[in-house]
Amino acid sequence: MAATYRTHMSIIGDILTTTRDEIPDEAGASVTYLIRKANISYGRISKILETLVQQGLLEQTSSYRACKYKISSRGREFLQAYRGFREFAETFGLRI
Amino acid sequence: MEFVLEIILNLVGFGVGLLIGIFAHIGFKNTGSPTLFRLTVAFLSISIGFGVVGLGYMGDSFFIHSGKIESGIQTLGIGIQTVGYFFIAFSHGIKSFFPKSRYLKSIVVPLFIIPGNSIEHIIRSISFILLVYGTIETIMSYMENRKTSTIFVASGLGLLALGEFLGWYSIVFPKSVLYVISISTKIVGLGALFVPISKVPLRGMKFGGNI
Repeated sequence: MAATYRTHMSIIGDILTTTRDEIPDEAGASVTYLIRKANISYGRISKILETLVQQGLLEQTSSYRACKYKISSRGREFLQAYRGFREFAETFGLRI
Repeated sequence: MEFVLEIILNLVGFGVGLLIGIFAHIGFKNTGSPTLFRLTVAFLSISIGFGVVGLGYMGDSFFIHSGKIESGIQTLGIGIQTVGYFFIAFSHGIKSFFPKSRYLKSIVVPLFIIPGNSIEHIIRSISFILLVYGTIETIMSYMENRKTSTIFVASGLGLLALGEFLGWYSIVFPKSVLYVISISTKIVGLGALFVPISKVPLRGMKFGGNI
């Protein structure tokens, strides 16, 4: 199977989808869990998570040992809009 | 008949291009996606191009009454549309528009040495090539994702390409039915482009902040 290049936006989409649909517990998803699910390096995901928290799309919650992340209501709205725009671009055979 | 069809075509083109361009712009503002930026430039150019030609036709129809559009206005409008078609093709990954300098010369130099009427036909032929490229790439995407909406866009671009080709070919048979068929084909093509876009939910897309 050919490898598919993921754009920056699609990685963000994957992270937000994971924090919305697949969080392992109420506190949210750990960085390690997100790295595994989103399949990207620690260095890259750290920067993206920082941006997403700054933009208010993710909520950072402190846990017993490490920071955990949950999607915010703003993040849910963004994810819905992102899917609309992704659908729009895919209609033209493109990826955002 | 041709005049009325031309006005309809250009109004439809202006409206469809503007709607798709605005939607792409909202997407770009929210996501910062370069793809959506290119689609914004593409469809706003297409819209402005149709608008310029449409204004030319309406201006003649209402004020000048000469029965034909000023060739400079027609060429300007078609040129702006071609920029839009270029950006659609470019979004699919054209590596280089002018790969070697001799190709550059063969495309750019004739623009300066041939009469105005021929410039319009050169621009039409460039539009045709770009639209065919966009159509083929969109069909390739359809082969991967099998989305019905993608085949609508491919058909739309293909019909626009056919319309451009017939419009360009009508130089061989001026005043024939070819030109009317060309305009009608382009109107149907624009309609096909709009069908899948109309199904994308346009509401609730406002979102601040560029990530």
